[in-house]
Amino acid sequence: MERFLKIFAEPLGKRINSVIHSLGHWSLFLFESLAWLPRKPYRMGNLLRQMEFIGVKSTPIIILTGVFVGAVFALQTGKSFAMFNAETLVGATIGLSLTREIGPVFTALMVTARACSAMAAELGTMRVTEQIDALDTMAVSPIHYLVVPRMIATTLMTPLLTAIFDLIGVIGAYFVGIKLLEISEGAFLDKLYYYVDIRDFFGGLIKAAFFGFFISVISCYSGFTAKGGAEGVGRSTTRAVVASSVVVLITDYFLTTWILEYFSRPTV
Amino acid sequence: MIKLVDVHKNFAGQKVLNGINLQIRKGEITVIIGTSGVGKSVLLKHMIGLLRPDRGKVFIAGVDLGTLSSPALVEMRKKFGMLFQGAALFDSLTVFENVAFPLVEHSNLTVEKIRERVMEKLDLVGLHDVDKKMPSELSGGMKKRVGLARAIILEPEVILYDEPTTGLDPIMTDSVDNLILAMQQRLKITSVVISHDIKSTFDIADQIAMMHEGKIIEAGAPEIFRASKNPVVAKFIGT
Ligand SMILES: Nc1ncnc2c1ncn2[C@@H]1O[C@H](COP(=O)(O)OP(=O)(O)OP(=O)(O)O)[C@@H](O)[C@H]1O
Ligand SMILES: [Mg+2]
Repeated sequence: MERFLKIFAEPLGKRINSVIHSLGHWSLFLFESLAWLPRKPYRMGNLLRQMEFIGVKSTPIIILTGVFVGAVFALQTGKSFAMFNAETLVGATIGLSLTREIGPVFTALMVTARACSAMAAELGTMRVTEQIDALDTMAVSPIHYLVVPRMIATTLMTPLLTAIFDLIGVIGAYFVGIKLLEISEGAFLDKLYYYVDIRDFFGGLIKAAFFGFFISVISCYSGFTAKGGAEGVGRSTTRAVVASSVVVLITDYFLTTWILEYFSRPTV
Repeated sequence: MIKLVDVHKNFAGQKVLNGINLQIRKGEITVIIGTSGVGKSVLLKHMIGLLRPDRGKVFIAGVDLGTLSSPALVEMRKKFGMLFQGAALFDSLTVFENVAFPLVEHSNLTVEKIRERVMEKLDLVGLHDVDKKMPSELSGGMKKRVGLARAIILEPEVILYDEPTTGLDPIMTDSVDNLILAMQQRLKITSVVISHDIKSTFDIADQIAMMHEGKIIEAGAPEIFRASKNPVVAKFIGT
């Protein structure tokens, strides 16, 4: 028993302790970021630069992944649905899955991989080279100067990128469905319009905004808490990407429950 | 102006500050000396609230730093300028933007006025034609001087210098010493300087404080210091 405690319980307890500890720190960071959010001066230059970096520069990768996700999805569902003579439902199925789940989740993961990793690395480097301390000494809140613009930009741009992803995904599915699998175009589009509601689309965008908010705060936090040289920056970047991805998938479940309840048609 | 009372600080069990008592008087230049790794930079960071003491208090103009909220602390720091040991320049901004940063944030000067001030300060630290360069394109000593220009640009009440002359040639060292003296004489700026250079220490100091094993073992005017009976002090300053 004593050995069991030493080998398993003790490290486990320490681990849980440290997780709770960082969750506490993270929440403080989150609240501080929200508290600085409405404060002047509004740094439009910083915000626009972040929006360009997160939004505009992510667009190509979102288009590329969107088109292939839609295409492969059409291929799979097309083949399966053909077994029940239900190919015409391919458009509707893809439309619903894309707008509700795949669009927001995939986009958030792509933004994490492309933008949030860079965010964590940049802020981590600034931390270990004392640039964040320097901001502090110059009476500029690093949270206000660095975190707030990134938080706003990611929260706004993730839904926009999701909209692009949804649209491009459906176009990808359209080409595979109609041109390759030779599903009747009229039926494909009819079912798509009939089953996919604008509320599904907006529900997905709301989700994406929440994802954007969480992944930006997690990544900024990760950068801010980086310690010790280049290796520490590397570790904080890895942590940002892993934690963001996991949080996207977990919050997705809870957001879906909530959105299904309040946003979707009662019938579907 | 700045008062440290019984300040303790540990890093992962390593005692760095172990009961520091020190008073920095208004309008004076205080030089802090001590062996490498003794905790001088850590001490300096306590004076501006970048690090919080585990025990003890830091007072700025009579206000306990530990009691300030984060916006109040930001407000208080407007009185300060600081040069970091590693310069800590923003690597995404040009030299000009780095030096102009405090002005852009805290003054409502016009663009031309800011330009004028920045060029004047860069000139003071002996840098010419570097304003469009990025920090990564500068040598160590040049970075240090850009950091110095940035620390003094607002002409704040208090300036903290972490080894302003380390890595500079003897002529540049003299001119930086003169700059620190001029800031004090012309603008009555309170300065805290960390230095490894004994000659410049005696040239500029109103008060010298020596750190050893987490404590201030001697503090006083240069004459008192020269006459110190403490063997550690005597050995360090070579008398
Ligand atoms: N953030 C930190 N985390 C852990 N240990 C630290 C930290 N900052 C400083 N230390 C430790 O505190 C001690 C004092 O460091 P400090 O940088 O103050 O020395 P110093 O007197 O400025 O030396 P030098 O003259 O070489 O600059 C060192 O042993 C260092 O390892
Ligand atoms: Mg130091």
